[in-house]
Amino acid sequence: MKFATLIRRNLFRNKSRAALTMLLMAAIFFFVATLLSILENFDRASEMGDGYNRLAVQSAISLVNFLPFSHEAKILQVPGVGDTAKMQWIGAYYKDKKNFFANFAVDHNKWTSVFPDYKVDPKQLADFQADRRGAIVGPELMKRFNWKIGDRITLTRQIFPFDPEITIRAVYDHPVNTSALYFHMDYFQESIGNPSGADMIWVMVKDPNQMSSISQQIDAMFKNTDAPTETFTEKEFQRTFIAMMGNVKLLFTAVSTCAVFMVILLAAITMSMSARERIVEISVLKAIGFESGLVLRLMLIEFALLTLIGGTLGVLGGRLLFSFVNMAKVTQGFLINFTIYPRAMAICIAVAGVVGILAGGLPAFRATRVRVVDGMRRVV
Amino acid sequence: MEPLVEIQDVRKVYKRDEFDVPVLNGVTVDVPRGDFLALMGPSGSGKTTLLNLIAGIDRPTGGKIIVEGKEISRFSETALAAWRARHVGFIFQMYNLIPVLNAFENVELPLLLTKLNKKQRREHVMTALEIVGLGDRIFHFPRQLSGGQEQRVAIARAVVNDPTLLVADEPTGDLDAKNAAETLDLLQRLNSEFQKTIVMVTHDPKAAQHALRTLHLEKGLLVEMTEAAAAHV
Repeated sequence: MKFATLIRRNLFRNKSRAALTMLLMAAIFFFVATLLSILENFDRASEMGDGYNRLAVQSAISLVNFLPFSHEAKILQVPGVGDTAKMQWIGAYYKDKKNFFANFAVDHNKWTSVFPDYKVDPKQLADFQADRRGAIVGPELMKRFNWKIGDRITLTRQIFPFDPEITIRAVYDHPVNTSALYFHMDYFQESIGNPSGADMIWVMVKDPNQMSSISQQIDAMFKNTDAPTETFTEKEFQRTFIAMMGNVKLLFTAVSTCAVFMVILLAAITMSMSARERIVEISVLKAIGFESGLVLRLMLIEFALLTLIGGTLGVLGGRLLFSFVNMAKVTQGFLINFTIYPRAMAICIAVAGVVGILAGGLPAFRATRVRVVDGMRRVV
Repeated sequence: MEPLVEIQDVRKVYKRDEFDVPVLNGVTVDVPRGDFLALMGPSGSGKTTLLNLIAGIDRPTGGKIIVEGKEISRFSETALAAWRARHVGFIFQMYNLIPVLNAFENVELPLLLTKLNKKQRREHVMTALEIVGLGDRIFHFPRQLSGGQEQRVAIARAVVNDPTLLVADEPTGDLDAKNAAETLDLLQRLNSEFQKTIVMVTHDPKAAQHALRTLHLEKGLLVEMTEAAAAHV
């Protein structure tokens, strides 16, 4: 493009101003990209069970109410149900409260049949199943605490009156959930005095088309009992879990929108200054034959590039930063496999370009509409 | 001599708030092809306004301005911009180079509006800079040049696309005597050697002496023509 030199030179005509504007864009779009990526991280977590016909059955009264074990046997009688597995949220931590992560007691013998998406080395799985105090751990957690197979660890109680003392017997592989720990339901039951219940029963359904009808059948079956149930698909369950944090999506979207709005105003101030101090030059360009529309387009390209470069640096910088920082550790397992996702990058880079056009549009339009003879007389 | 520019009963009134300020009150004059015309007169006499109208950067309130048979005062803004790009070269008192572009890039600006390729543009720019004697300063930015050199770059920019008409508004107004003389010699050379038609506004009678003829304006009217000019016409 033959105007590239003119655009490039104008872009950096005031180096410190251009650098500060780009830095501002980089900071804002790093922030926005991080918020968008956190939301996407939640969405990805909610899609953890996609492709697997799992239902989550929990108490209709509250998430912390136990479901009696007798429910499991009745659920297994429902036509179309393949298998079930009880699961209990333990909520313990490792050594220090800041070392918190998801930990559960599970039916160790049924775990792989209900959760076939968790891949485990057969020998390690056999070791886990054979050891009453055995645990199976996500790879991210192994890395975070520098654990090895065979390590004996003690978790510290928060909810239940016992400190699980367990031995790591296996490491699972899962595309999304890489930072959880599971140990035997039997061990948990015995340790807290056999309460004969768990807070969740996972159900593997044979035919995905029957998910909805089986879900309704289960809830109907226990409707008039002491322990009514509420059954979700796994995706619904994850979303419900995330929704417990409040309307994070709305909050993050509102904060991102405010940040972008502020940056448009700040960029508009910079671009107004830039356009105003160039009135004479713009008039010269128009005098020698540049049409107003062409000058306007060149200025808009320049302004869009200014914000685009800043925004791109921000999101690329964020991606680089999160490739070095273990966010699972920093956020105590809240954000697993966190990065600036491509979708967030694309949105932020596109919005950054649009910010330049929106912020610079009016100043550039006004500058290019000044009559040549008036512009030439202007003392800036 | 064939008239390049025909100015017929041109009037210009500026609006200043609720007041009408007449600047040109019916000026009629022809500028023949190959002429070097100096416009003189006191401040506010309308000479720069007349120059702007001839150059197509302002519009008359009344009358006609015809250049090469075309009434430019009726052109749209877009058509006028395209016409200026092709037919007019500007030389300003304050040079008005683009400070972020070097000498080469400043001179190249008018050529960016043509269909010339990069190589052709380069050839034109180098020719123009050689004519003004700045072939060795192509990478210098305006801040690295003296006033005289800046004005020569501006002259190179004005002639690089071989325009029909050169307009110069006080081209020596910001220069010392030596540089002013060099600039005027250069304009004279462009007129005599390259047959460029030049219309120059000046306050300086010495500068006007370099022109082929001089017109005086006072209160928006032509008041006098030099004998040399009369003979030339």
